[in-house]
Amino acid sequence: MTAQVVQLLASLVAIFGLAWLAKRMGLGGDVRLRDEDEAKALARAASCGFEPVDTVLDRAGIAALLRDESGRIMLLRRHGVHFAARLLASHEGARLDRNFLTISTGERSFGAVTLDLGGRAQEWAVALRRLGGVT
Amino acid sequence: MKLDPVTLATPFFILLVLAEMVWARRRKAQAYEPRDTLNSLLMGLGSVLTGMLFAGTVAAVMLAAYDVRLATIGLQWWAWSACFVLDDFAYYWIHRSGHRVRWFWASHVNHHSSQHYNLSTALRQSWTSVIALNFLIRLPLAVVGFHPAMIAAVAGVNLIYQFWIHTEAIRRMPRWFEAVMNTPSHHRVHHATNPQYLDRNYAGVFIVWDRMFGTFQREHDDLRIHYGIVKQLGSFNLLWTAFHEWIGMARDVWNAPWRHKLSYIWRVPGWTHDGSRDTSDMIRTRWQSCQPDCGTSPKP
Repeated sequence: MTAQVVQLLASLVAIFGLAWLAKRMGLGGDVRLRDEDEAKALARAASCGFEPVDTVLDRAGIAALLRDESGRIMLLRRHGVHFAARLLASHEGARLDRNFLTISTGERSFGAVTLDLGGRAQEWAVALRRLGGVT
Repeated sequence: MKLDPVTLATPFFILLVLAEMVWARRRKAQAYEPRDTLNSLLMGLGSVLTGMLFAGTVAAVMLAAYDVRLATIGLQWWAWSACFVLDDFAYYWIHRSGHRVRWFWASHVNHHSSQHYNLSTALRQSWTSVIALNFLIRLPLAVVGFHPAMIAAVAGVNLIYQFWIHTEAIRRMPRWFEAVMNTPSHHRVHHATNPQYLDRNYAGVFIVWDRMFGTFQREHDDLRIHYGIVKQLGSFNLLWTAFHEWIGMARDVWNAPWRHKLSYIWRVPGWTHDGSRDTSDMIRTRWQSCQPDCGTSPKP
């Protein structure tokens, strides 16, 4: 039993040590969306068949909203050094505050995202309203 | 102290992760992300702990099967070799069912939920594989006459082999090796979410099983691989990582009409009675139907 506890503690030290080293070595980094083309490519990769016709990037490049021809809207947001996407099902959970649009997908683990969309925030809030309520 | 092959190999795992991190620092800093690494390694530790917790139960079931064995196979060298090959064959089917049956996927998804592909991803193992009863697929080996201790040992060696193939640092092995063995290239395909790569290359050690059963897919050098799962987690929460698919499956079963409830357990992941989500087959079919215009992102 003592040997197993020692083994467990040594494993925990090794695990947190490696994660600390990864941070210390500067691995990962501060990833941002370069441009709309990159956001579109990521959206296509996230959902096969989703072909963006309109895209808006958060000013800091940490998130984007994309719309396809059929009016579906995808939220793309940074997750570590990658991006995770969700197709939005309704406008509920979207709040507009001047240039800032906050979107909650309804998934607690995914969290809410606030996008600084500048002058296009209003336009995208309207697009989101077209999605309607929860179905 | 437990001294199975995997425990003995653990110090080498740590050293190799460290070596790959040094490689990443020089060549590709985004190959690692500290929170992702922490998540993967803690999943690995949790997997070892749950494995220890249920080791007695698994051993009892395997020994019960061995008690009704058809023959007694000793500990000769050829028996070890035969057991290794047959265990790898069983692993192929365990792994394939892990992707094609949602019950098993709920456990195996943990290994795929990182958007990274590095040696720490190899250690990102499920906490619930024993509960999912994956090990039952190995029972025939005991019934045939291989001793459960031998089966456990070769399964451990199989797992150790699979560690080094979780890397982007190695592009290709020699052609003969790629033809027979599972390699980093083959297994990158397995971890990809690109439509043409979904549910391919289930092999553990020998890629020949995929070639035999029609699930082999070669890696294309000009295609950027996106790793992870079709619906990326978007979270570094450890408990969510461990249990999200079990929770999702339970919700689906709860909400489904009675006649569809079981289908959410045994059918392919992504299946819904109303067609509101995609299975990997549906994604691949859609991708094939819109070629060459969609779904491929060339390497930057």
